[in-house]
Amino acid sequence: MKLLIVDDSSVVRRAIERDLESAGITDVDQAATGEDAVSLYSIKIHDVVTLDITMPGMDGLTCLDKIIEINPNARVLIISALRDKATAVDAIKRGASGFLCKPINPAELKEAFQLLMED
Amino acid sequence: MNDQDIQVFITGFRRYFESLKTDFRVVIEPPYIKDLRDREIPFLDYTGIIAIDGKSHGVVCFTANGHILESILERLNEAPITRELICDLVGEIANTVSGNAREKFGREFLISVPIVTTNHDIVYPLPADCRNYVIPIVWQSERAYLFVCLS
Repeated sequence: MKLLIVDDSSVVRRAIERDLESAGITDVDQAATGEDAVSLYSIKIHDVVTLDITMPGMDGLTCLDKIIEINPNARVLIISALRDKATAVDAIKRGASGFLCKPINPAELKEAFQLLMED
Repeated sequence: MNDQDIQVFITGFRRYFESLKTDFRVVIEPPYIKDLRDREIPFLDYTGIIAIDGKSHGVVCFTANGHILESILERLNEAPITRELICDLVGEIANTVSGNAREKFGREFLISVPIVTTNHDIVYPLPADCRNYVIPIVWQSERAYLFVCLS
């Protein structure tokens, strides 16, 4: 199980990693920018990507488009502070598999991750 | 921005601290209005600033002392706690509360990435036509503030 965590906050990246470690995920890469995420994903197709939206440089939705270009079947879980329906619907239309709002609830994160893996 | 609009920030602020799931209750004290250019504004050791554009213009700032931020990082099982992590956290809290406000204001409420400062004497260009709300919180006997300055 290969996981890529994309968020400009190292505190958030580490929190997600710790939450999913307890769910048995140990092969984890991290990226702090959309650009780094696309570079990493293009050389190693991860099973799941968690992706923030508000980041310096390339924003998460543009990054999502580029990941879907590389792999139309990519499983991308958006984890964002942007708590509005229009953004969530847009992300799903662009190919995201799910949308979680910050602050992160570890139980919701694990549940969303399990659903993605069963998909 | 009016008294009803400010409620979404109070909700977001409370939501963040409640997500930490500690035995300590977060107390949100009554918000008040103050001019952010006023020297008496209580900017503390670390401040995360989010610039707002689109439907509103201005800033949302979260300011706190190191102790409260260290306590949150401990709660998140971070070790060792560094100044870099504290700066990251104060920006992330400002980002989370601001982003959550889209629940009320919608997609046209555009938020920037966080700018973090440790300067107590912050000078930031603010719209002249905004009401500046100060929302104090107390958590683990420590006080922190959210400033919402929006046109």
